[in-house]
Amino acid sequence: MPISSRFVVRSTILLLGVGFLTLLGIVATTIWLSERAQYSFSEVVEARETRGASVELRTALQTAESSQRGYLATGNEIYLAPYATAKAQTMRHFSTLKRLLANEASFTVLLDRLEAVIGQKLKEMDDAVAFKSALRERDALAVLQTNRGKALMDEANLFLSGIIRRTDDRLTAAVVEQRANAAWLRWVTVLGGLVIVLVVGGVTILTLQYAREVVQARDEVHALNASLEERVKIRTADLALARDRAEMLVQEVNHRVANSLAMVSSMVQLQARALTDQAAKDVLSETQARIYAIASVHKRLYTSKDVRVVDLDAYLAAVLDQLAVTLKNEGGGASLRYTIEPLKMPTDRSINLGVAITELVTNAFKYAYPDGNGEVRVKLASLKNGSAELIVEDDGIGRNENALAKGTGLGTRIVHAMASNMEAKIEYLERARGTAARIVFPLKEAA
Amino acid sequence: MLRVLPALCALLFAGVVSAQDGPQGITTPVVLPSFDPSAPSCSAPPGLQKILTFAQDNERQFMQGVAKGLAAAAKDRGFQFRVVLANNDPRLMIEQVQAQLADRAGAVVAAPVHPPSLAPLLQQVIWSGAYVGTVVPPPAVTLLNAPQYLTGRVLAEAAAAYIRGRLNGKANVVLLTHDSLQFLSPRFAAMRDVLQDMPGVTIVADISPLTVNKEGGLNMMRTILIAHPDVDVVLGADTVVLGALQALREAKKSRPDQFLGGIDGEPEAVAEIKSGNSPYKASVSLSSPVFGYALGQFAADWMAGKSVPQAMDILPSLLTQANIAQYEADFENPGAVFTDPNRRDAYLKMYGNICFDTRDRYVNFPWSSERK
Repeated sequence: MPISSRFVVRSTILLLGVGFLTLLGIVATTIWLSERAQYSFSEVVEARETRGASVELRTALQTAESSQRGYLATGNEIYLAPYATAKAQTMRHFSTLKRLLANEASFTVLLDRLEAVIGQKLKEMDDAVAFKSALRERDALAVLQTNRGKALMDEANLFLSGIIRRTDDRLTAAVVEQRANAAWLRWVTVLGGLVIVLVVGGVTILTLQYAREVVQARDEVHALNASLEERVKIRTADLALARDRAEMLVQEVNHRVANSLAMVSSMVQLQARALTDQAAKDVLSETQARIYAIASVHKRLYTSKDVRVVDLDAYLAAVLDQLAVTLKNEGGGASLRYTIEPLKMPTDRSINLGVAITELVTNAFKYAYPDGNGEVRVKLASLKNGSAELIVEDDGIGRNENALAKGTGLGTRIVHAMASNMEAKIEYLERARGTAARIVFPLKEAA
Repeated sequence: MLRVLPALCALLFAGVVSAQDGPQGITTPVVLPSFDPSAPSCSAPPGLQKILTFAQDNERQFMQGVAKGLAAAAKDRGFQFRVVLANNDPRLMIEQVQAQLADRAGAVVAAPVHPPSLAPLLQQVIWSGAYVGTVVPPPAVTLLNAPQYLTGRVLAEAAAAYIRGRLNGKANVVLLTHDSLQFLSPRFAAMRDVLQDMPGVTIVADISPLTVNKEGGLNMMRTILIAHPDVDVVLGADTVVLGALQALREAKKSRPDQFLGGIDGEPEAVAEIKSGNSPYKASVSLSSPVFGYALGQFAADWMAGKSVPQAMDILPSLLTQANIAQYEADFENPGAVFTDPNRRDAYLKMYGNICFDTRDRYVNFPWSSERK
């Protein structure tokens, strides 16, 4: 199962926390064990001093006894010097021992008894020495034969061995404690180190695993991207092909529509030529002009790369040129001049505009100049607000609003219908001479 | 004790003067051969009464057993039996033995209070033709001794087995010795020899009570506990070990897993062993009625002109709960033990031969079968 970044963060924090606590534990344990080691060391020193004083005391007592026996056996006073020294050492070592054990309640009775025994022993030895010095050999021997001296020495040894033994126990306990401390320290360090190694190992493994999974995910993304790009490329090619086919189909359709409309226009023209009635011929001629205007749009479309819009300058120029030719052929004497700004407009609206211009120009040719000479001008220009204006003007007889319509009125209705489709406003401007029809329309459809 | 020493010394000197009246006996230590029960008879001592007297040092149980055996033997052999109790008074004992000498008593068995002061008087008794048996010190026609080293060893080995088996080889041991009787020192030498081979054993005290009785043991153990509060094993004579047990109980330091063992088979020690849950685990019996009975029999034989042993070992028997019944039966009827050779040999071992005609060969040195 893949690991999440949250899991990695939490696990890493947890592991580092464990490592930190372990380190803290090692430090705390080390401090604690150091304190214990210090206490044990003090115990060792005190016990060693106590033991030393006990042994020295026993040695002094034995030296005193052996010196006394030497004097009793030989009468040689050279033994009295070490005897006196040993007695003094006995008292000094006992004082030391008493000071060292002053705080040990369990030794109070023992020390009292030991003090009494030492006092009796020294007195027993002094008595025998005194008898010997007074040449009372038998009395001195009698003192020895009571075995009191041995009993006192045995009792002193009993107490001293008790102190030494208990001191040895303290020494042993302190040394064992120190050894235990060292063992504890060793184990805590080893275990702590092990935990830290495990923590570091855990973090490393986690990081490596996470990094491996990140790399793996990145490789998978790269692979997916590469696959996606390939699929997009194929899809794009498919779409381009489909678009080309669609465009081709649209062009074909426009071509066929344009050809069909041209055929219809030719058929209307043939029909018009076959008629003798001039009015009918004019009607058909106008119809032909309208059809041509529509056909011209389709003609533009199948030669254009973008069927959604129409280049108005090329389209309208073609419509006006053809209309001028047609109107000349029908006997019209006026001339046509136009100024078309290069603008683009949606196809449907362009058809409406083309039909509207055809109607307005045809009207101008037919009615502005009754004598047949004059100029009709067409101007298309863009406005600031995304709109454009179309002006068809002449210098003819002008337009009388109150007069009756000179034709059927169809052309005017068509113009209004086209203007309505284009969401345009049509107005006729007052001029000193002639007429000016102005259509203002948006270049784009309202959203 | 110090007050009676001058008097004892005076008596001792008096004894030395009188000792010139007769042979000194065997004063140089020798190794005695085994007793020959079929040795030829000799003359019977003339002019002596069929009186068997026991000069008893004190009323400790061990000596009561001796008296019991002697009384049984006297009864079996038709002797008048007397007990003179010195109550640890050496001077009184001397007077009591002098009285027996004056009465022409045929046999005196003594447990000396102060052997050096009594020895000259016992020599006079021997010179008078009477039979003298002593419990341990010389001089004597028949000297009763115990193989002290063996006795101590039997007890120490029992303790060692217990330490190994129940105390995991570790023990703090107290040896309550007996300084006033130096011939008992081999007992404690044996104990030290056995215990020194055990690395887990520490002899925390090796000391003699001032008096070898229960009170002495009590006082000494109280002192020992001041210096060594934890004691696992106590060895010594039964009386002192019983005192030590009392001290342990007073100090609430007694435990069922302790090993207290003594020598002498004292009835109180036996009762402790029989109780089953006492720290007192063993006693080495020197069956005093058995050897007392034997000494009585030998006294009668002597009076009849028969050859008797010069010395006799009372062999140690380790008393435990397992064999205590047999021990008590033998204690009550020592005559039955003596008449059964197998059972007698389990208790007694006899050395040398002596009779009235060869009484100048009496033992006058501290004899021990263990002397090399």
